[in-house]
Amino acid sequence: MTRFVTGRELGLLVCLHCHETVRSAGKDRARCPRCGAAIHARRPYSVATTAALTVSAALLYIPANLLPVMYTRTFFSEDSDTIMSGVISLLQEGSWPLALLVFVASIVVPLLKLLAMSWLLWCIVRKSPGHPLQRSKLFRLVEFIGRWSMLDVYAIALLVALVQIRSLANIRVGIGALAFCAVVVLTMLAAQSFDERLLWDTTSDD
Amino acid sequence: MTSLIVCHACDLVHRRGAIQADSRVRCTRCRAELYRTNSASIDTAIALAITASVLLLLSNLYPLVAFQLNGTTRVTTLFGAALGLYDQGYGLIGAIVLITTVFIPLFQIASLLYVLIALRDRRRAVRQNELFRTLSRLRPWALPEVFMLGALVAVVKLSALAQVIPGISLFCYAALMLTLAGLTSVTPTEQFWAWVEGSKT
Repeated sequence: MTRFVTGRELGLLVCLHCHETVRSAGKDRARCPRCGAAIHARRPYSVATTAALTVSAALLYIPANLLPVMYTRTFFSEDSDTIMSGVISLLQEGSWPLALLVFVASIVVPLLKLLAMSWLLWCIVRKSPGHPLQRSKLFRLVEFIGRWSMLDVYAIALLVALVQIRSLANIRVGIGALAFCAVVVLTMLAAQSFDERLLWDTTSDD
Repeated sequence: MTSLIVCHACDLVHRRGAIQADSRVRCTRCRAELYRTNSASIDTAIALAITASVLLLLSNLYPLVAFQLNGTTRVTTLFGAALGLYDQGYGLIGAIVLITTVFIPLFQIASLLYVLIALRDRRRAVRQNELFRTLSRLRPWALPEVFMLGALVAVVKLSALAQVIPGISLFCYAALMLTLAGLTSVTPTEQFWAWVEGSKT
């Protein structure tokens, strides 16, 4: 049996900015002597902040996927694209690796993030013990892949700037793009306000 | 206090061994990276930051991509793309695009240069710690590699409509992405503070 000793038990705090170890002197907050950051034993209001951001992102995920992100008008036609129809048109143009990339980055990743964050928060609120390593790894995955969802926003920005040839072809942004961008930003903020240590607080020693 | 390290991800306490150059130490319980050191010198970091600043300048001066349709050519830069979004009433998206692709990398490069050049002269830059904390807070919001893939998607979509020519800026931006990744890897937190300690003598 390995006995794990935590910083909380020893009265030690860690600075999340510079990773300096600081003696807490019985309090659960301090100022980092090395970089000057505020240190807390656990991030204050981490669960509430993360939950609020996740719920907001989940609500915006609906318009982000249903409303058009882009209107394309050419001499012959005018049509609107949602994120999904953008993926399908990439597929029809024969570039399935890119279609897969956009599908994963824009649809799977945000959904995975919302589900994972909700589940992790649920585990913390229910004080569910067990599998902290898997949960931590899931969180790190979410944190790592979240940024890639911005890909579609950049693609839309470039398309809009380039395709402005008066009557021949022009592309306008749709309101869905704003909702989508908000989903990405909010889920990134949610991951940043999440305190991973909470996942480990409920575990008993192996 | 330096003999003990507390894991920032699971709160486990570790005894710190002798720190070696070019090593990566992970938490024994949750596998999070406790610290990483690097044998690169401060000069390497400064050189990379200067390279990055030149690439960032170039990538904003020249067009990213050119789009040709029926004899009309359209080119755009990143600022042009943001402005296009603003013109259509989506200034917020434009601002997010500019912040994540231009302003945050610019801030990272400029503040690292400012802080590192001072450390190289064995002094501490004014507001060094505030800049360090801001850098650590902004790091997740620098998205040059995501922008590169987004540009690739846009180019492929456009090539279905008309002729698309990648511009100089796109290559500069790709080089910037690699340089920034290099800069981040030679300036891990532990290394930065080792330089700060070293500058005291």
